[in-house]
Amino acid sequence: MYLRATEEVPITLVDFDLVNPFYTLRPIKDTLENLGLKVIAWGKNTFMGLGEASSLLRSDMLWALHRKGNIVFDVGYGTYGAEIFNLLEDNAEGRLNIFGVVNICKPLTSTVTGIVKYVKEFGKINGIINNSHWGDKTDITIINEGIIIVSEASKILGVPVISTTVEKKLAEKIGPADFMGNPVWPLTLYMGNAYW
Amino acid sequence: MSNKKPVEGEKRAFLTGNETVAWAALAGGADIMYGYPITPQNQVMHTWSRIIPPYNRKFLQTEDEISAGFANCAGALAGKKSFTATAGPGNALMQEPQSMAEAMRIPAVFIIQQRGGPSSGTVIYSQQELTLTTYGGNGEGWRIVYSVCNHQEIYDYTIKAFNTAWTYRFPTYVMGDGYQAELREALTIYDPEERGIKMVEPQPMVGMPGKPGVDRPPVHLVNIYSLEEELYDVCIKYQMEFDRISGEITESEGKNTENPDVLVIGHGVVFRSIHEAVKEMMKDGLNVGYFRPVTVRPMDVKALRNAVKNAKKVLVAESSLGQLERQIKAYCYGLTTPISGYFLPGMGIVATDIEREVKALLKK
Amino acid sequence: MVQKRPKIPDGWFEDSKPHLFCPGCGYGIIFKAVAQVVDELDIRDRMIYGIDIGCSLLSYNFFNFDTIQTHHGRTTPVIYGVKRAVPEKMCLGIFGDGGGYAIGSQHLVSSALRNEKIFCILANNTVYGMTGGQLAPTTLPDQKTETTPYGKKVEEYGWPMQGPEMIAAIGSKDVYAARGIVSNFRQLKRFVTRGFQNNLDNRGFSFLEVLSCCPTNWRTNAKETWEHLDKVMTKYFKPGEINNPLEQKEGK
Repeated sequence: MYLRATEEVPITLVDFDLVNPFYTLRPIKDTLENLGLKVIAWGKNTFMGLGEASSLLRSDMLWALHRKGNIVFDVGYGTYGAEIFNLLEDNAEGRLNIFGVVNICKPLTSTVTGIVKYVKEFGKINGIINNSHWGDKTDITIINEGIIIVSEASKILGVPVISTTVEKKLAEKIGPADFMGNPVWPLTLYMGNAYW
Repeated sequence: MSNKKPVEGEKRAFLTGNETVAWAALAGGADIMYGYPITPQNQVMHTWSRIIPPYNRKFLQTEDEISAGFANCAGALAGKKSFTATAGPGNALMQEPQSMAEAMRIPAVFIIQQRGGPSSGTVIYSQQELTLTTYGGNGEGWRIVYSVCNHQEIYDYTIKAFNTAWTYRFPTYVMGDGYQAELREALTIYDPEERGIKMVEPQPMVGMPGKPGVDRPPVHLVNIYSLEEELYDVCIKYQMEFDRISGEITESEGKNTENPDVLVIGHGVVFRSIHEAVKEMMKDGLNVGYFRPVTVRPMDVKALRNAVKNAKKVLVAESSLGQLERQIKAYCYGLTTPISGYFLPGMGIVATDIEREVKALLKK
Repeated sequence: MVQKRPKIPDGWFEDSKPHLFCPGCGYGIIFKAVAQVVDELDIRDRMIYGIDIGCSLLSYNFFNFDTIQTHHGRTTPVIYGVKRAVPEKMCLGIFGDGGGYAIGSQHLVSSALRNEKIFCILANNTVYGMTGGQLAPTTLPDQKTETTPYGKKVEEYGWPMQGPEMIAAIGSKDVYAARGIVSNFRQLKRFVTRGFQNNLDNRGFSFLEVLSCCPTNWRTNAKETWEHLDKVMTKYFKPGEINNPLEQKEGK
């Protein structure tokens, strides 16, 4: 279930974190757009010069579902969980594929019970993406541990594991699927350049 | 308090700096946090209020930073491990209660996530609260301030801050910044006791058991005096105490400080760039070194002066207009090494910036 | 055929439009009322406008008024400072429930007590909007916020703040204290007019709370937003005039 950006079916990324918007997305907005993605987020030059840097919604974020192609919303944490999707215009039931991205190196989602509890508090999701990693200290052991724990949690929750995401170099060592059969999505990391 | 441990053994974690503060405080046994919303520390409160229920810790959002600071002092006076977090204008407001903590030797813990200043500045980043955090308020700077540079340090020093505060009874600070607050990084979270770290038990300064006047004398705490001489005596006494313990708590690190052509000095997150730049330049055969104060208050003056004395030139790099350089120059009074500054107020400093500035200095 | 657009108030600074407020924010309605009234009373040349750090901050270039952005919670002392120095000015401050009822509450108390001839308008959306949705003094019982993730408990944080009632209790009979709601524009505009009039007559302090909507932090769609405002918030905050020293009586 890859998304590939094309003229006919573009991909739009929307920064939809209303509690802790990723202001570090600003410096790489141009980089991402040069890769063929459309990015709806505050860019470095358009960002409100003042502002406490939070919850600045724009109408193009709310109307994103009207765009053609695939739309990817980055939703942060927040006590309201999945209710955030209430804000989207024409958010018809079943239109959204909501994936919970889980990293077992976050204390609240480091165990099966933790993941189940967290996801249930969030609300309805359609799948889990196993993004277990430890930053630049990631190794195969952590990835495998993540696969086991996330797979167990997904069984309890009754949602499929969509993929295991792994940084490119490590992904080559694992292959196209992990040992539980989940597709491996290799990641190219850009956020390192986003740090001021 | 619940016996259940929030962190068992050692655990790999990938967190923001703010989340790290909250988890460290939890693992370090903090009882209560008082806070008021201000970017970029809000996520400390969000995380703390979310994770505490199984451990019976407490949280109060107060009406402003002045009250958060005074309530923080009060929590400590009452014998609880208490902390708060703030930034920028909130830090400015909190100077009044921080002065009270100095005057009354209150072991309260303050987390500062520096943002651009003065006034509302930016919500993002700076190192412009150094003067305020080390010498703010209307006092003499009886404060212990750790300037951390990565998330492992945020975790380690937040736990340490409670132990330091409760051992030495001076308000203790962990000073980070907006970049560290929001950035996600790998670290190891752990149960400090399992690592052999002795956790200091808090003691109340008021409200101890027993009937005052019968079972024990009443406690009468003040921060005001009638005569100049009374104040003088207190000031001298506390300053002597502060100086005496300085040797036990100062921390710094240095590299190639024996006889460098250029010694680079910086603190907090800027040190990461300094470290990287110096490493690269040394690989290229340049004779450069660095000095990093970890405690910016009290400063490790002995190590600082030694490093500066041995260097041909000193470059102070900071994201402010010379707040660190001013202190360094004062501490190095009498030494003849030329000291210059590279100042980017409110902006990040990367390794290539440092390299460029050092190479320019080497040419002069 | 060219569609006729409603005229934007002269008091609005056209270069800053489209503005930066979230879609569905109640501030737009409040600012429309303010600008229309300022135009009708013809006081634009005397206006000094103060704003807080909070969502009202986004109106720093919204109006054709001279504007001072202050610190969080400190708009009130800044505008009464101007008024005391230059009494001919018409001083208006707009801020939220955090800036007014938490960090700024002492200044409202003192302004009411001293009867400062300024006009403070407070937008009540029951949360701290701009900083990501934390608890406010007006947060409803059991309402989830980022600092009350399990719901605000009345035992811990009390009942929602009754601001205009407090102002009326502290101030003399010359204080104008009222509560409007963005879903009743005619009433809101009438309250704004009386608030300014009270200052124009040099009679007393004017305070107007406005029940406003924040779909962003409430995570509500349009229908749910209006329902929450009209049906739920009005259970805790009653629109109307609590103290009206002007001659006119409240109509509908």
